[in-house]
Amino acid sequence: MNVPMLVDFQPLLPDLVLLVGALWLLILDLLMPHGRKRLMAGGAIVTLLAAAAATWLYDPIGTVWGGAYLGTGLAVFLKRLFYVGGAVAVLGARTHVNEAYARRQGEYYLTMLFSILGMSLLTGARDLILLVVAFELMSIPLYVLTAFPRDDKRATEGAVKLYLVGAASSATLLFGLSLLFGLAHDTSILAIATHVQAHPSPLALVGAAMVIGGLGFKIGIFPFHMWVPDAYEGGHTPFIVFLSALPKIAGFTVFIQLLLARNGALATMALAPLLVLSVTTLIAGNFLALRQSNVKRLLAFSGVSHVGFLMLALLTRSELGLGMLLFYGVGYVFTNMGAFLVVHAVKNGGGGDDSIASFDGLVRRNGWLAAAMLAFLLSLAGIPFMVGFWAKLFVFLAVWEAGFYGLVVFGASISVLALFYYLRVVRAMFMNPPANEAVIDVDPVTNTAIVLCLLAVVGIGLYPGPLYDAARVAAVGFIGN
Amino acid sequence: MDVRFYLSLAAVLFVTGVYGILTRRNAIGIMLSVELMANALNLNLVAFGRYGAGALGQVFAMFSIALTVTEVVVGLGIVVLLYRSRHDVMVNLASEMKR
Repeated sequence: MNVPMLVDFQPLLPDLVLLVGALWLLILDLLMPHGRKRLMAGGAIVTLLAAAAATWLYDPIGTVWGGAYLGTGLAVFLKRLFYVGGAVAVLGARTHVNEAYARRQGEYYLTMLFSILGMSLLTGARDLILLVVAFELMSIPLYVLTAFPRDDKRATEGAVKLYLVGAASSATLLFGLSLLFGLAHDTSILAIATHVQAHPSPLALVGAAMVIGGLGFKIGIFPFHMWVPDAYEGGHTPFIVFLSALPKIAGFTVFIQLLLARNGALATMALAPLLVLSVTTLIAGNFLALRQSNVKRLLAFSGVSHVGFLMLALLTRSELGLGMLLFYGVGYVFTNMGAFLVVHAVKNGGGGDDSIASFDGLVRRNGWLAAAMLAFLLSLAGIPFMVGFWAKLFVFLAVWEAGFYGLVVFGASISVLALFYYLRVVRAMFMNPPANEAVIDVDPVTNTAIVLCLLAVVGIGLYPGPLYDAARVAAVGFIGN
Repeated sequence: MDVRFYLSLAAVLFVTGVYGILTRRNAIGIMLSVELMANALNLNLVAFGRYGAGALGQVFAMFSIALTVTEVVVGLGIVVLLYRSRHDVMVNLASEMKR
């Protein structure tokens, strides 16, 4: 019998760093006096950055567990996104967590680290069992984190809804996977894709549709998106910063793993439902966002429409499309986190109720926050020289290349519509008179997180080349096998 | 009997669970319905294991059961939290489209 050596786990080294770091913090949390607990955020950030560094120091390419985990360029790219994005989310939440949950803040970061560990394992999961375990490792901590503000009635209600919808969607996803497993008699995703390609059957289509539906709930595809705005509105904003960004990309990671294997065998079979869902998601997300008066709900629906764009990239089933999906994912994560961080800062420093009216005259109350929010909104809308512009443009190019000319025209026109609701917030910030002139103060830690997001949004917006190349390289060789 | 019998039974169980989720108002009732869905898929896995896939189906089912249990533990914790803040556990999943 072969005894596995540590060197065999090299593709999982970043995950191991994250796991060991999280376990260390768990012990540290027990030993630490209560007054020192705010140091836990630093520990979490160091752990995440160490895991990110591990992806650069070693080459996490290769297979583990007999092919159940496959380290690829795609896995490395997504891992880096999850670690760096997670570190920014921890930084942005630190001040709030320190004030709101002083004694149990260590648990907050630990739960977050375990969720990120689940996402990180998803990036290379090539076997249904590992995929399902990693998916739940990502999801269950999210339920815990939504329920973290336990004295807040609305947050608890939001957590119950998120949990029930999440559990039902997990069961649907698993049911679909069980059908695919039964058809191929194998848990290897490659074997399933090969089998489905060779013997397409109605049962396989049902399985694929249930997988898409189950995941659709998690990432907020149109008919399954109802819980998203409620959860965002009820939840505490520093956590929504995390929830709205990284788990969506992790959901797309599952889509990529399952649907794009073997030249997109499953995606080709389920092309019609995917097409319909992406178009309806784009329409519904943008039209429902038009009538929102609450900024968090508006951003929730804008997130739904961004999921639609990501699905367009998925539809192409090409290497170019996958690369551009990755590019879009990076842009979406940092833009969205930045926008929610500003929403948090405005509410925290200036009172208000997250309504668009509470952003009235923001430029006179804190010019820096207004400028940062302007950049994030322009990026979400896809205005040139913000990362969102390149992300949309590259996705459209990939979709055009794949021959869906109608979708490009449709997507471009719907993003013009999206300008309207983003500009409503911009108008409130710059044109409307403020309700009061009190200056909004932002604490330096939250401010640093906003600066980092802004640097990513504007920096990649001005120099998209390096990220474009990295995303293209990461996608190479993934679709074919 | 062949695998189709088990698949049909699992499908019926699953649809019953979905019906329960859509009609129940009690959070515990909805969790029970989710449990029905989970058991439907476990039945699928075990049946596929018996008819062709071998032990792999049972292994998959074991993982799935363990995951469902973890999920239920967290869920019950959240429901207890809801009970402490409101003294009932009624939820309305369909009340989303406000404003």
